[in-house]
Order: sequence, then C-alpha cells, then structure tokens
Amino acid sequence: MLKEIIKSLLPFFMLAALYIVLAMFVTNSYYQLIMTLVIIWAVFGLSWNMLSGYTGLISFGHASFFGLGAFATVLAQVNWGISPWIMLFVSGLIGAASGLLIGMPTFRLRGHYFALSMLAYPIALLYIFQWLGYPELSIPRVLDNPAAYMQFSDGRVYTVIAMILLFVVVVISRIVEKTRFGMALVAIKQNESAAEAAGINTLAWKLKAIALSGAIAGMAGSLYSVVILVITPGSVFGMLTSAQALTVSMFGGAGTLWGPIIGAVFLIPIAETLHAELGNILPGIQGVVYGAAIILLITLAPEGIYWKIRDWLKKPSDEKDAPQENADITIVPESLEYTKRPMPTGDIVLSVKNMSKSFGGLKAVQDVSFDVTRGMILGIIGPNGAGKTTLFNLLNGFQTPSGGEVLVDGVNMVNQKPHVMCRAGIGRTFQIMRPFKRMTIHNNVKVGAYVTAKTEAEAEEIAADALQQVGLSSISEKLAGGLSTKDLRLMELARALAGKPHILLLDETLAGLGSSESKEVVAVIRKLSEGGVTVVIIEHTMQAMVALVDRFLVLDHGEVITEGPPEIVTRDPRVIEAYLGKKWVTDAKN
Amino acid sequence: MKYLKLKKLLSTSVAALAVGSMTATMAFAAPKPIQIGLIAPISGIYARPGTVMKMGAELGIIDVNAAGGISCLDGAPFELVMIDSGDSVEKAANAAQRMVADYPDLIAATGSYLSSFTLAVTEITERAGLPVLTLSYSDLLTSREFKNVFQTSATSGAQAEIALPIIMDLAEAQTGIRPKTVAIITDNTAASLSSVKRMKDGLLADVGLELVFEEVFTPPLADATSLVQSVRQRRPDLLFYLPTVISDSKLILEKMKEFNVKVPVVSFGIAIAEPEVLNTMDAELLDGVMSAVANWGSKGQEDLIARLKETYGEPWMTQNAISTYGDMWLLKAALEKTCSRDPIVLGETLRTTNFGPSKYYPGGTLSFDKTGRREGASLTIIQWQNGVPVTVFPDNLAVAKPIWPGAK
Repeated sequence: MLKEIIKSLLPFFMLAALYIVLAMFVTNSYYQLIMTLVIIWAVFGLSWNMLSGYTGLISFGHASFFGLGAFATVLAQVNWGISPWIMLFVSGLIGAASGLLIGMPTFRLRGHYFALSMLAYPIALLYIFQWLGYPELSIPRVLDNPAAYMQFSDGRVYTVIAMILLFVVVVISRIVEKTRFGMALVAIKQNESAAEAAGINTLAWKLKAIALSGAIAGMAGSLYSVVILVITPGSVFGMLTSAQALTVSMFGGAGTLWGPIIGAVFLIPIAETLHAELGNILPGIQGVVYGAAIILLITLAPEGIYWKIRDWLKKPSDEKDAPQENADITIVPESLEYTKRPMPTGDIVLSVKNMSKSFGGLKAVQDVSFDVTRGMILGIIGPNGAGKTTLFNLLNGFQTPSGGEVLVDGVNMVNQKPHVMCRAGIGRTFQIMRPFKRMTIHNNVKVGAYVTAKTEAEAEEIAADALQQVGLSSISEKLAGGLSTKDLRLMELARALAGKPHILLLDETLAGLGSSESKEVVAVIRKLSEGGVTVVIIEHTMQAMVALVDRFLVLDHGEVITEGPPEIVTRDPRVIEAYLGKKWVTDAKN
Repeated sequence: MKYLKLKKLLSTSVAALAVGSMTATMAFAAPKPIQIGLIAPISGIYARPGTVMKMGAELGIIDVNAAGGISCLDGAPFELVMIDSGDSVEKAANAAQRMVADYPDLIAATGSYLSSFTLAVTEITERAGLPVLTLSYSDLLTSREFKNVFQTSATSGAQAEIALPIIMDLAEAQTGIRPKTVAIITDNTAASLSSVKRMKDGLLADVGLELVFEEVFTPPLADATSLVQSVRQRRPDLLFYLPTVISDSKLILEKMKEFNVKVPVVSFGIAIAEPEVLNTMDAELLDGVMSAVANWGSKGQEDLIARLKETYGEPWMTQNAISTYGDMWLLKAALEKTCSRDPIVLGETLRTTNFGPSKYYPGGTLSFDKTGRREGASLTIIQWQNGVPVTVFPDNLAVAKPIWPGAK
C-alpha cells in the first residue's frame, strides 16, 4: 500500500527536488519569497482540496483556518515567546478544532447554502480580530539564536521548510485518495444521498475531512505568518485569502492532489511577478490575473487543467474500448419466460406496520402495512404518484415517517439514518440513477463495499464479486459517466449488493429500459433472489414485473389497495381501475 | 601596404585610447548616484498623501543636488527610487520585500505615510539593515528596539500630550469656558489608535476632559450617520476626530452640517487638511476646524511653498511634502559625515550624531534617541481659516492666530 503510494508520487518527488535545486540558485530575496509562497499556497490549496475538492462542498471560508493559524503563531511568540516551530503544529491542532466547530453546524447545509455559510466565518473572525485590537501584528525579531524561532536571513531555508510541509501534505492527500476515506469523500461529492444509501456515514466523514483540512490550512497560515513577517486580519482572514485557495485548486483541478500544485505553480509567480513589475503602474494587477484565470478556466476547462489534460490523454484509449462494450455482456438470461416458482415461506425479515407520511395536507403514504418473508421478491406497484418512492424513502431513512414502524428482523428501525439502515442490511437503488460519474464502475461499487469490508483488499474482493454477479466485470474499469442506462442500473445494483444486504430495495430499476434490456435485468434480479437475497422492487409498469415477482402490493393514493400473487392481482378490478380508470374495468372483464 | 596597415592600426589604437580616457573622465565627472528609496502609497485610497511625499522628495533631491550632492563622495547626486506601497498593510510589506531585493544599492529610505504601513515596511527593512526615516506617528514604530527606524515626527502619544493642553487653553481663553466633555471618533490605523490610547491612559483626565463617547471604525467609512447621531445625542463640548483617509474626514463634517451638529472639531493628522477636501466641501463648512499635525508648511518656508505651488500646483504645503523634503537634507548631512555608501554606516551615524537644530521639522534637533525618536520633536497645530489650513501653533512657526470655532 505504502509502496504503491510512494510509486504513484514519484513524479512529485522528482519535481519537488528539481524545484528545490532551482530555488538554490535564486539570490534575489523577493523571488526567494515568491518561491516559498508558491509552496505555501499550494499547501493551502491542498487543504481546500481535502474538503471541497473531494467532497464537492465548496468552501468560501478556508481563510478561517489559515488566519487562526497565522494569528496563533504570531500572538504566541509576541505574548509568550513560543517558537513558531512549536506553533506550526499547534496551529494544525487549532485548525482541526476550528474545523470541527465550524463543520458541526454548517454541514447541516448543502450546496450553495453551505458555501455561503462558510463565507461568514472568516468575515466574522476578521472583525473579531480587529475588535480585539490587532489591526496588524508582526513576528518579533529574535537576535539570539534566531533559528530556534524559525528566523533565517537566507530566504531559501523557508523554501525548504515549506517544501517539507508540502511533501507531508501531499503524502497525506494521496493516502486519503487511495483509501476508504477518499472514496467516501468522492462518493459524497458525486452524490451524497447515494453515498448515505451505500452505507457511508457522510456527516462523520465530512467532519474528518474538515478537521484534516483545517489542520493543513492552520499549518499553512502559521508558516505564512513566519515568512511574510506582518499579518493583518485582512491579509489572513480576507476574502482574497479564501479565494486564493479556491482559485489555485480550481485552476489546477479540484479533487486531485495535483490540482492545487499546478494552480499555485502557474498562478502565484505570474501574479506576483506582474505585481512586482507593474504594480505601481497597474495597481491590483494580481486580482486581474486571478480574474482572467477564472474566466479562462470556466470557458476552456471548467474542471481545471489537470482534468482537462487527463481527459485529453484518455480519450483515444476510451474510443478503443468502445467496440468491446457490446461483447461484454456475460449474463445470458437463462429464461425470459414467466416461470412460477413456489412462494418462499421463510421467516419475516421486514415488517412494515401502519406506515404514514403526510406533507402538509397531502397524505403521501397512509397506514401502509406489509410483511416480507426471506427470499421473496415483492413487487410494489401503483400508478405515478401512488407513494411508492416515498414509501422506500421512509423504509431506509431518507424521510421521517409521520407514524408507523419498520421492523428489520424483528427490530424496530424507524427513524434511523440511511447509512445505519444500510449497515443493518437494507440496500437500495434509486429511481433517478445516482452514479459517481468520475469514478470507475469498480470504484463505484467499492464504495458500497466499505460497509462490511475491514480492509482495502476485502473491499476490492467484494466489489469484484458484486460486479461478477451483475455481469459487469469486463467493463469494470470504465468511468461511470459514459455508461448506458442498463449498465448504470446494473452498476447501482452491484453497489447495493456490495453492502451485502439481506434485503434489497429497488426503485424502478426497470424504468427507461427497452424490453430486451429489461429482461436481462430481470434475469439478474431473479438470480440474486435465488442466491438468497430478499428483494422489494417498485415499478409502475406491470409487464416485466409479472415475470419477476412472487407477490404484488398495489398502492394508490398512498394506500394499499390490494396484495397477493401476480395472477390474482393483475385481474383485480381495483388495480385495473387505479391504472386505467373505471372504463377499462368492464373491458378487462370481457 | 604594410606601412598603411600599421598606420591604420596605430590610429585605431589611439582613437580607442582617447575614447577610453574620455569615458574615464566622464565617469570621474559623474559619480554613481546615491539611491534613496521612497516607499509610500501612490495607488489606492492613500495615493494622495503618497504623491505629495513624492513631490517633497523630488524638490529635496533637486535642492541637494543643486547644492553639489554629497561632496565627500565626489559630489554624487541623490536619485529617487519610488516604490508604491499600495493601499494595504500586506501590499506595503510586499513592496518593502521588493524594495530590499531589487535595489541592493539603496542607502536609505523614507516612508510610508500611514503608520500601519510603516510598521510593516520597517519589519522588513530592519532585517535588511536599511535605515528608514519616517514621518509616521505611531508610538509602536519606535517601541520595538529597532536600530534603523528614525521617526522625525513627534509620536502620536507625544503629539496628544503637547496638543491637548494648548487646545484647552485656547478654548478657555477665547470662550471663557473650559471644555469638560469630549467624544472621540477614530479609525483603526496604528497612528490614530496610538493617539487615542495615550489620551485614555490619563491624558484626558490630566486636562480635565471626560470621554462621553468613543467609536473606532475601519477606513474607508461608508456612512457617518450613526456616528454623528451619537455625537448629537451625547452633546460633548469637543469632538476629537482621527481619520487618515480624505473621504472619511469629509464625510463626518458633511454629516455634522446635515444634522446641524455644532461641536468644535479637533482632528489629529493631515487627512482633514488635504486640498482634496475642498473639492466637495464648502470652505465655510471647514472654517475653524483644527488639526494637530506633526509638521506643516510654516513661517520661513514661503519660498519652498511657492515652488511647490509652481511646480506641482499644490495650494499649500502639507506635512508629507515638508517632512519628506527635510529628510533629503538630513540624509545629506549624515552622508557628508560618513562619506560612505554603506547603509549600515549611515544608520550608525544617524543613531549617534546630532546634526544641529531642526529646520524642516518642528522643534528639537536633528538627532535621535536610542529608540529612534527625534529628540525634542514638537508639532504644529493647523486651522482652516478662509479656505486654507494655516499653521497657528507654535508661535515661532505660526502664520496666523488661532480662532476658537465657537468664539466668533
């Protein structure tokens, strides 16, 4: 594992060594400073990437951690004579703690709401530090043994210190990327609901991510204050500081450790050099550079340079793969005809009692009760708007019921979070597919495997096994982004399977499929059922379902209208009425 | 043929020799200029005072060079290196980094108007061993045990100490009543905060003033309504106002007029006496407003003030012009003593030598104590009278008599 990580970082080590060698030839103290700042901003960018790049929760407020680190370092030396060598690590702890403090309330919000709330923290801190009477602070100069206070007359020493910090942060980032930590974060980014359903405790992972991210930012801020000597609330908590982290990361490419490094190496020297050379003629030229960079980026490479180049390099090989795709179907449906099998008569694994949910005056689900015995395939059908998906959301914790119970193996699990339900053995897929598009099929499924897997190797194995079961093994290294609807459905199925569920909730798995595709998927589901998995499947079309299920539960207007084996239910006038209207009931009889 | 070639060779060598010796003489005639840095804001909200500093520096350099440059360095002339410190502390620090990196030949620098900027700049110049003269006020500048910072102005605290009793006496002499209460509105720049700190640390009590209202704001101010409303409610006898941005200084006076608040305003610093103030304000509105400043064009400098007006169109000479002008003469005096292009030697000399009475800074001598404060530094009090801010204190520099705003 470690070997692999080191191997994957070889290009970084070589470039870093080259950079240090280059830095040794720089004699102009200002350019020495820039060479150090490039690295510090890269570290800060990586900190941003740790949270926002991997989870997709855009933070406009990373200056909070950076500024706290910077102020802690300077204040500790001014007031207590504590060396920045110590404060570098203390700032990491402060950053982590503030990350948790900020994360706990803020992670309740998503999307733009999260981004905007994050903006508030550095602004508040800026005013707090001004109010505390720190319009500006500088690192006191130490004349006796300056090295003990991280003070060196040669600016190149700072470049080396910064590079060591970057080195550590890069290795940490790569470890995160390669383990379930990173997988969980990327899954959250791609689709938080799916991640929850796949058994990921999203809040816990997000808190870990913001703590780690805060720690890195705090250390970056600490080192920044040492090399820049003078800090103000505006310079470390200001909007531009947060923007700096965001700009270098987005420019280089968010979600990869290369992004912030590429961004910092490109943008910081350009901006600083322009500022140095033209600053007195064109004040604010730095801002113009960042602005132009963002505009170029959004038009040419919205995901950043790294991804653009990667896509560009990968394209030819993808095209080569394409013709193979059709040849890859390994599951040949054994029998597409309806073969009635004996009704399973095991114990009851899932029991729903008096489940209700209202949205204001609308009763989406009313008093629904049913039992599911081990190994059966229960089909829940009903016209659009009957309350089928709501019922599923209530079953696995995405929504809170207004009343009722969900007994899983006899234990009441009502009101539990989705990832808890997942761990209890309830897997689910979504009506609207929720793939992690930037990940390979294999990794999509692997995310689901972390629920039970203890080690990476075990997760790999489970994922491979799940892919085997649905017949996607041969295309497992393709990115999920380019898959057909059928393959996506199968992939979602595999992801749910990777959690080793006893009960699978499938939400309109057959929707949008042609009849032959639909038959293939039905065959897979039936095979799973034969392997011992209990299946509850929602569908509003009946044809394919008749060939699949052991029993139907029919919903209309949120209520159970009937329940029973397919041959009886399909002839039930109430069912026909619910689907087709009263007129057809009489026609159907004839 | 051979002869011809030889002749040609000879003549070429002679020509080359001649050119060589000419260059040598020219080099002898024009010694390498001595670079003086001016690091001050010439962009952003503080651009105006920085630009005026540049005018002062340019005039000073013209005059020093006209007087023969530094005679013991072969008459080497001064050369100004202008560095924009921008409009924020971080830009100023960055500019200082560039200054010490890109101009290794600088012998000294002067700057940077705002104390906050000077604090940042000197953190860097001190480490580089570059002597810096400054007209900034903050006491903090010379409380850091730095060796190469030389504060030509009286510090904020010292200015408040000198100015407050004078102001109190003036009020009492012209109105018959000694003010009892004061409101303070200040921005959060280092110089302003230093003044206010000294006032609150006993100075107000010493002169018998009670602080009834205090507000600190971050420049630039967007709206002064609430500030002026508060002043109106508290009805102080005096308002001390400490802005550093010109627009802030105008805003409060305009609002006071709008709300018809007639409290005598005493300012600290030059922002309220810049010519720009008149662009949007009636001279009448300003009449009587006083300000304590470290230095101002005053009696005996009429020629210089006229030249400033003629060259740059400046209607009057603010501290930024006169102090920076004076800096050039102080540097000349020091260099004439050291006869060296080494900044370290210059710093040592400035620390240890008394160059006699001060001509271009009010009060005291051209010598610095061990913290870097100019010994005996005093201030000037200026007052808007008939559309011009004129020096009214000290008497030997005053061009007009002070008039208490409420006494008319």
